[in-house]
Amino acid sequence: MLRLWPIGRILGARTAAITAARGSSTGVTEKVEVFVDDKPVYVEPGTTVLQACAEAGVEIPRFCYHDRLSIAGNCRMCLVEVEKSPKPIASCAMPVMKGMRVKTDSPVTRKAREGVMEFLLMNHPLDCPICDQGGECDLQDQSMNFGSDRSRFTDINFTGKRAVEDKNVGPLIKTIMTRCIHCTRCIRFASEVAGVEDLGTTGRGGDMQVGTYVEKMFQSELSGNVIDLCPVGALTSKPYAFTARPWETRKVESVDVMDALGSNIVISTRTNEVMRILPRMNEEINEEWISDTTRFAYDGLKRQRLTSPFVKDESGNLVATSWEDAFIATAEKLSAVKGEDVAGIAGGLMDAEALVAFKDFLNKMGSEGLCTEEIFPGDGAGTDLRSNYLLNTKIAGVEEADIVLLVGTNPRFEAPLLNARMRKSWIHNDLKVAMVGSQVDLTYDYEHLGDSTQVLQEIANGSHPFCKELNKAKRPMVVVGSSALQRSDSGAIHAAVSLISQSVRANSSCDDNWKVLNVLQRVAGQVAALDLGFKAGVDHIRQNPPKVLYLLGADEGAITQEDLPKDCFVIYQGHHGDIGAAMADVVFPGAAYTEKDGTYVNTEGRAQQTRMAVTPPGLARNDWKIIRALSEIVGSPLPYDKLEDVQGRLCEVSPNLIKYGDAEEANYFKQAQELAQLTKGQLDNAPLQPDISILSDFYMTNSISRASPTMAKCVTATKEAAASKY
Amino acid sequence: MASKVVLRGIQEVKPILSVNKTESRRRALNLYRAWYRQLPYIVTNFHIPLTTTQCKSRLRSQFNKNKDLKDLRVIDMLVIKGQMELMETVNNWKQRNHVMQLFDDFSAASKSKDFLSKFYEGHEQ
Amino acid sequence: MASLAVRSWCAKRLLPMVIPSRSCSEIRSEGLSPIEWTEDTKNIVITPAEEAELRILVKETTDLSSLSGVPEEHIKTRHVRIFSPARNAMQSGSFNTNRWSIEFDNRERWENPCMGWVSTADPLSNLNVDFINAEDAATFCEKNGWSYYIEKKQVATFKPKSYGANFSWNKRTRLTTK
Repeated sequence: MLRLWPIGRILGARTAAITAARGSSTGVTEKVEVFVDDKPVYVEPGTTVLQACAEAGVEIPRFCYHDRLSIAGNCRMCLVEVEKSPKPIASCAMPVMKGMRVKTDSPVTRKAREGVMEFLLMNHPLDCPICDQGGECDLQDQSMNFGSDRSRFTDINFTGKRAVEDKNVGPLIKTIMTRCIHCTRCIRFASEVAGVEDLGTTGRGGDMQVGTYVEKMFQSELSGNVIDLCPVGALTSKPYAFTARPWETRKVESVDVMDALGSNIVISTRTNEVMRILPRMNEEINEEWISDTTRFAYDGLKRQRLTSPFVKDESGNLVATSWEDAFIATAEKLSAVKGEDVAGIAGGLMDAEALVAFKDFLNKMGSEGLCTEEIFPGDGAGTDLRSNYLLNTKIAGVEEADIVLLVGTNPRFEAPLLNARMRKSWIHNDLKVAMVGSQVDLTYDYEHLGDSTQVLQEIANGSHPFCKELNKAKRPMVVVGSSALQRSDSGAIHAAVSLISQSVRANSSCDDNWKVLNVLQRVAGQVAALDLGFKAGVDHIRQNPPKVLYLLGADEGAITQEDLPKDCFVIYQGHHGDIGAAMADVVFPGAAYTEKDGTYVNTEGRAQQTRMAVTPPGLARNDWKIIRALSEIVGSPLPYDKLEDVQGRLCEVSPNLIKYGDAEEANYFKQAQELAQLTKGQLDNAPLQPDISILSDFYMTNSISRASPTMAKCVTATKEAAASKY
Repeated sequence: MASKVVLRGIQEVKPILSVNKTESRRRALNLYRAWYRQLPYIVTNFHIPLTTTQCKSRLRSQFNKNKDLKDLRVIDMLVIKGQMELMETVNNWKQRNHVMQLFDDFSAASKSKDFLSKFYEGHEQ
Repeated sequence: MASLAVRSWCAKRLLPMVIPSRSCSEIRSEGLSPIEWTEDTKNIVITPAEEAELRILVKETTDLSSLSGVPEEHIKTRHVRIFSPARNAMQSGSFNTNRWSIEFDNRERWENPCMGWVSTADPLSNLNVDFINAEDAATFCEKNGWSYYIEKKQVATFKPKSYGANFSWNKRTRLTTK
């Protein structure tokens, strides 16, 4: 030990010398010293005064400035005094200069803020008591902090305040345009992040209005984020209107399951009811945006719910019953058949705890027929190697990539936030995007290579002209959508994509640690299911018709009554009365993602935990507990009683499942590719077509969003908007 | 070096009352004895619907619950709290329900323990 | 010697133990007061200076769960999440994110039929304690005997921004004239 540390010091010195050398050769610029309230901070040259103040721990009040949008500099709230400057400067737009002395709390600064605030409030209505933003309004808070203590506004009886007509921009966003302070955050969000140039301003001065010019819907899969961005109550949530106040709700930090990205969310609840869902910042996944299904599909959690167990009676009707009776009816059937005659299908919304209990339960009975609804090719290495089914580059990796080849996917609707990242990278890093698959609107320009599998073949064998560009890249990404792998030739498609990424890796000058092959999953539970060893796709069940079929939240109709023998006993466990429950003989009511502590692994392989925000309705129970209880009735109880025990079991099967927050790296690309070449399947001639190509199909993708009235309204509104002439 | 490793996780603190294990043990035993001898009077004074023997076994289990405590300060604090309880009981500062709480382990016993009955009962585990 | 001195001092401090009721005086008449008196300890006086210097060795992590009065079921079955609260997405301010909080596993809540207020049977659901860092929170949980886990804090990455990017002639950051 003692002998080691001087060596460590030598090593440290050496690395320091190396970095210094590197620094001088690439010409890394020196940091600039600025003084914020006489406290020195060192920042990169070119950063703004506002950012320098943030580094120093001083938060400058702002309305128009937002970290993830371009700088507008029009609200003037961020005025600060700078020594030797004749006027206060707008700190959000002013770059720092060497030795600048910023005064963030001087009389001049305070006077400037007070003045700006007075002008803003002059044209802002005093309707805070009936405003949905009340209690979490930037204008409200900042007027308390920086505003004047009295009003000089005396014109009330004469001309009145400015009034603006409200706009109708669709069923999600409510507009009260009189409250607008023209910060233009929503406009910048729409044109920069969402890539929909719908919003803009008309008129000048006192007549300026933010809107769509002609009445039309704000058609974007990310539209809900403008509600968060709006610093006042001009844009609020329509479904949430007048339902709750921020101080009376409880906030539970959780994870979304509407797509496979696992966006981080905050669930606001009151009286055992989900009131709304807001994004939570996570730089590695969703930055601070969420998609509209994530944000607004929560009202589907209150409708079409299964609240008590059901058993089918003699006349074929499902009758509500108690847990005991439902369990006994099931146990009778289960004990009457052999283990191999039982099969199970797991749906896409299931958490890893339920999946592992499900697998242990059926395996204990002697069944190996455990499938997932979502298909994934089993040829070659199939699901044995994790790198085969993960988004290996990670979502944040898109920002480092220089070329992306999309195969049969429409990331805009399959993973809206991944698409937002690609757009961001397209704007700031000149990312090049190419696509094999039918032409869709991705909100940014991309090279369309065609939609036939022939193109894929050509790129794979290197005869396509696009290969040259791929091989020139330093950080290429190949993304194949899970929707493209639902076809009969999925094995061949996966093999071709695997070959492309392996040859790109070999021919281009990319780093050894850079991963090329990416699979974009569509459903939240799929990666965990594959990690646990479920068979992907229901072919196994089609080939070996079971006598008892256990559907664990399988609602996409992968197996229908026609695929099963007449006497097959179907058990459905899930939270919504959807396709699965309709064909069942016994129904167990389960918990939705807001009602349980569940582990979900996103498409990058990152394990995250949802948190129980409300209790399951009625007699519904947590899913793994139902299986655990049933196993006891059947006579072979599973060896876990508590959530920690189940998580311990998860850790036994695959430790990455409980490493919350971390994306476990996967590897063995070469081996996977070699195995993939053994696949015999041929590419089909059918064109590659993603499932969701237009916005109206985006809103309803699972049992929760199908039950949501808001999502139904969105579908109608987008269809109407498509028919309108604007 | 080795002694330092052993000493890690140990700190020097001011005592509350006892300075060694024997002393704290004696305090605990004294408290136990005081309660034990007071029990017959408590049972009569408060009309406790239990026999003295039952109360005594309950008392014993209350003390046994903390038998593994090592920290002298914690033991001292528990003894002090126990003495306060005793005084409040003896002086009739407590009412019947307060005293009953000391001897009541029925609520814990009535709660079902096994997984299945908890499952049928409700959401809580 | 010190130990004896302390004992005497302590015994004096415990004098309020003398119980005035009839039954207790009976006990005392039997010579059975809670603290046993011995002749040699009675008259030893300990000075405040000596008292201030007394020290004992204890474990660094103290488990106070037996003292806290929290029912056993709320010690053994509860799990604490130690986290730094996320910024409210609806607002710009980030002051609330500079601290660490603890949160228990969520239990059932219901609407009270009387007033429509929210009811819960969980005594710990409203425990709001803030800490400067995660380690303090962890120590607090250890003291109270709760199992806990620390969630990584999400920090926004710093990106230099420039107003000039809006007008750059060869980049896609250029804003349209809309």
